[in-house]
Amino acid sequence: MALSNNEITKEMFEPVAMSSSESEAIVGKSTSFWKDSFQRLLRNKGAVISAIILLLIVLMALIGPTMNKYGIDDQDVVRQNLPAKIPGLDKIHWLPFDGVENNVDLYQTQHAKDNFWFGTDDLGRDLWTRTWKGTQVSLFIAVVAAAIDLLIGVAYGGISAYFGGKVDNVLQRIVEVIIGIPNLVIIILMILILQPGLVSIIVAMVITGWVTMSRIVRAQMLKLKSEEYVLASRTLGASHSRIISRHLLPNTLGQIIINTMFTIPSAIFFEAFLSFIGLGIKDPVASLGSLINRGYGVMQIHPYQVIFPGIVISLLLICFNILGDGLRDAFDPKLRQ
Amino acid sequence: MARYIAKRIVYMIITFLVVITFTFLTMKLMPGTPFKNQNRISPEQLAQLKHYYGLDQPVPIQYLHYIGNALHGDLGGSFQFGMRPVTTILAEKAPVSFDLGFEAVIIGAIFGILLGVIAGLRRGTILDYGTMFISVLGISIPSFVLAVFMQYFFGVKWQLLPLAYWKGPEYHIMPVIALAVGVVANVARFMRTEMVEVVNQDYITTARAKGISSFNVIFKHSVRNALIPVITILGPLTAAIVTGSLVIENIFAIPGIGSQFVDSIVTNDYPMIMGTTELYSALLIIMIFIVDILYGVIDPRIRLAGGE
Repeated sequence: MALSNNEITKEMFEPVAMSSSESEAIVGKSTSFWKDSFQRLLRNKGAVISAIILLLIVLMALIGPTMNKYGIDDQDVVRQNLPAKIPGLDKIHWLPFDGVENNVDLYQTQHAKDNFWFGTDDLGRDLWTRTWKGTQVSLFIAVVAAAIDLLIGVAYGGISAYFGGKVDNVLQRIVEVIIGIPNLVIIILMILILQPGLVSIIVAMVITGWVTMSRIVRAQMLKLKSEEYVLASRTLGASHSRIISRHLLPNTLGQIIINTMFTIPSAIFFEAFLSFIGLGIKDPVASLGSLINRGYGVMQIHPYQVIFPGIVISLLLICFNILGDGLRDAFDPKLRQ
Repeated sequence: MARYIAKRIVYMIITFLVVITFTFLTMKLMPGTPFKNQNRISPEQLAQLKHYYGLDQPVPIQYLHYIGNALHGDLGGSFQFGMRPVTTILAEKAPVSFDLGFEAVIIGAIFGILLGVIAGLRRGTILDYGTMFISVLGISIPSFVLAVFMQYFFGVKWQLLPLAYWKGPEYHIMPVIALAVGVVANVARFMRTEMVEVVNQDYITTARAKGISSFNVIFKHSVRNALIPVITILGPLTAAIVTGSLVIENIFAIPGIGSQFVDSIVTNDYPMIMGTTELYSALLIIMIFIVDILYGVIDPRIRLAGGE
């Protein structure tokens, strides 16, 4: 055998001129979980674009109503049902901003001097102001509902998981009954007792909405509870509140954020749905759903009255969903496929 | 398994009782009366009317009475249709809503599965991204916004399809599409995730190694296994279809339970509202039950008895 002739001798080796502490050193900058997730999110183009569009919509919801001189309830039948007209864009005829309806420039026939960017409704109210004000109301309802869901859900799920045993048993039996109740039915019945309005919509949505959050938090915390670092912490004598606030909650935060990102669009949808069937926001206040409902009534003659709020709500929901997906992939790359 | 089913049935009954009780209490707390022109009715007449409809008895008695009657299949008479039995009206309108929902689910599932399989097999390509983008649109855009836009463009502007009503097949196109889009999107997404997972399993590699044709690998081994978890979204989908049908039936003037329900809310028709909410709840609760059981039966790996 050829190999046996080449004996391996000590002289054939020479030490590397480097200590083990140097060769094992981590060269790259250490990143925290949040930084890492954020970088992953930034790499997701769809999520970034969605975030930018969402920011723009939120910004417009805040400053849009103040951009012209009309309030949300300024009525004037002289300028009723004017189509949308934006100076500059009115030269481009395939865009719906030329102030022309059925080949008639209604701005001339009705002697309207001002431009209404999204047109006016049958009472002569400016739809630009109403659309953005409505976006504000829809967003407000959704964010508040999601925040309350979060508070109740995290507390309930957290208590259920952390204390376990009998507490968990009782709390989960209640959840099992609630989760079986169709939320559509409960929401509609709640609105019927509470009278349509901002607060009642939020209450109605929260009543069944928190259950999902509580289940997610419970599942996650149950998993974390048996981790070794929690056991170590407990052995060292850490209090309940310290274990919950230092170990369990921070590690559940990703899941909580992801779930909230999906609760908000579903709340926006339900508010619009209720307003559309006449159980939501009432005049003179507007929401995207109530605007679509009102615009739908005159859709055959004045389609622009339903198209603008329809586009805004669709954009909002699309962007929230894409951003939610992006966040889920960023926080939990294992889920991404 | 038998123990699990028994447990689930008990929960189903409790949940349903909670819904009935809640519905009943809501009706008692609701503002307004079901009587028209209330100002013109003298107090004596009002008392007589209330007596006739049994509204003058104490609430607990009314409750027991209601439950007792409900067990006999009697949900009372509708106020807005001259006391015609609620069950008769529901039975009359149910087939229309059922048709609409069923067509939407079937069409939605077929297209959803197809899109999901394509996206899952061509993962990472433009086909995949395109399909997933469309499915995000489908999940996001509310069915009623889509319905309103479709009605305007196809019905009013281009006059390709009938605007409303529920007659021949061409009347089904728009409402069914409006309802089905959400189903397509959800099923496609779910199906894609499952396909991606299944395609990477060892048994698929084995099947390929054994020289089985691509068609068989895809349809006999991948799709069939990927389909199992898709069953789980049938429950939430039914809920979405019911929610959607309320507005879709209204928009397209379809004489089903959904548009009837909205009418009864507006007219304070208590027995009708209660009957409809109970029907919806029963439908959804039973659907979730069936899905859970079916899932365990089809996929023996899922151990129901010990599961959460």
